[in-house]
Amino acid sequence: MLSALKIEWMKVKNYRTFWILLGITLVSIPGFNYMSYNITNNSFPKGRNGQNPILGSPFSFPDVWNTVAWNASILFIIPALLIITLTTNEFTFKTHRQNVIDGWSRQRFISVKLVMVLLLSILCTLVVLLTVLGFGFIANKPGPGVSIIQGSRMVFFYFVEMLSYSMIALLMSILIRRSGLAIGVFFIYMLAEQIVVGIFGKSYHMKWVNYLPEEVTDMLLPQPYAKALFQRNAADWEHHIPVYLAISALYLIIYCVLTSRRFVKADL
Amino acid sequence: MSNILSINSITKFYGSIRALHEVSFDVPPGSVFGVLGPNGSGKTTLLGIIMDVLSASGGTYSWFGEPPSERSRQKIGTLLETPNFYHYLSGEKNLHIAAAIKGRGKDDISRVLEVVKLTERKDSRFSTYSLGMKQRLAIASCLLGNPSVLVFDEPTNGLDPVGIAYTRELIRDLAKEGKTIILASHLLDEVEKVCTHVAILQKGQLLMAGDVNVVLTNEDFVELGAPNLDQLRTALAGLRGVRQLKDLNGYIQLVFEKDALMELGEINKYCFDHGVVLNHLQLRKKSLESKFMELTN
Repeated sequence: MLSALKIEWMKVKNYRTFWILLGITLVSIPGFNYMSYNITNNSFPKGRNGQNPILGSPFSFPDVWNTVAWNASILFIIPALLIITLTTNEFTFKTHRQNVIDGWSRQRFISVKLVMVLLLSILCTLVVLLTVLGFGFIANKPGPGVSIIQGSRMVFFYFVEMLSYSMIALLMSILIRRSGLAIGVFFIYMLAEQIVVGIFGKSYHMKWVNYLPEEVTDMLLPQPYAKALFQRNAADWEHHIPVYLAISALYLIIYCVLTSRRFVKADL
Repeated sequence: MSNILSINSITKFYGSIRALHEVSFDVPPGSVFGVLGPNGSGKTTLLGIIMDVLSASGGTYSWFGEPPSERSRQKIGTLLETPNFYHYLSGEKNLHIAAAIKGRGKDDISRVLEVVKLTERKDSRFSTYSLGMKQRLAIASCLLGNPSVLVFDEPTNGLDPVGIAYTRELIRDLAKEGKTIILASHLLDEVEKVCTHVAILQKGQLLMAGDVNVVLTNEDFVELGAPNLDQLRTALAGLRGVRQLKDLNGYIQLVFEKDALMELGEINKYCFDHGVVLNHLQLRKKSLESKFMELTN
């Protein structure tokens, strides 16, 4: 696998689009959080304790874990674009065929793509972690008695969500093969699921929508702002985390199997 | 030594369309094996199956006497349809990737670039190459590691006359080196000039396969001319063993029954004895093209 990864690296290291999209992905995580930090810090009146009573202190420990991870999760579309571009390029240039002709097995080709998605998810998660630490320690120094690690599991939840979205992007690239169409379908799918969640979940209180592929990972990262206004049942959420994680894992296995089977069985 | 490639009852369906129907043949070592057929006959589909980019609906094949594997494909240089490279990378960097996948070192890259005369443009992006240069880069990729088996699918497609001549010459040179070459083409003169074996496909059916000399055996014919063709025709009507007699371009063409071909001297004497003085007498070999047309029409 290491030699296959080296070859994958050879494919992208001189590809400008790869560096641009990767750069945007990595910079946008702290960048978007900084923008959010500025807005929450400067645009709302503060109370005596230096906090807005409704917003709270989303960029201080322990809430910063949730805030940064949630903000970063809004940007999933950018790494998804990167994955779709790199994968559909193979179909556009027919290099997926050539790689197999030259001696890769189909399984090796698709396995290295899956590993690339995993590595990209780990990289983004590391950036989220660094961003959390940056805001938590530099922008807002933790006060005495504040737990730093409380809420750190949010970074892991971000990783699960990032991996899930990335795997959906890879699956769509393998199924659709065309860059523009795959991006379009990815967007439409995201939108469609949010509409379904909005209609059935919020209007009719149907809980099953929480277990849809995107929504189940979204549920792992609760909205961090103005918790006083959007009071949720924290105990209920806590209680459901193992279920959300188990179902997310199940979806990830399904994406892996579908992606591999499709590439291994189909005519290239 | 076992066959380089053995194809056994390969069948391929695209939906309800049958692209290949129980195709079987063997490619012996050291042969230049032409896979012939008109457009849509299934040549590329067959090559796609044996290189594992298409899945067969039925049948089996083996490379080097073993079940197909990535290891066997690494030992084969293949140009299937169009040259497939990363457009944003240079020719040389594309070859680095191909060499790495084939499990070869980088040390052969400069040699193959020199063989296809692309050394000067090795640092240019693939997207800036002309069609001929792209095709030559694909051939360079095939030659990486000096494989003993090469598979070329329409290697002169889209090339200019210089490119066609160059590619033919290269294939001839490779054949002289004793390499096994599988060459799919609908350009019959291209195949006829270099092939030792042929398989002829039409609408997915294998019409004929084997040694060129066997496939074309007993297909020699004699071309005769005389001042009075009517008199010649009448005289030849009585000649024993003649299967077919037809007028062609001011001459009469004689095709004999199997093993009944007469010596030219005998034919000359026969005509003279029947009062016809020949002004043209020539033994001709049936071209692959005529054989192909006969089989596919």
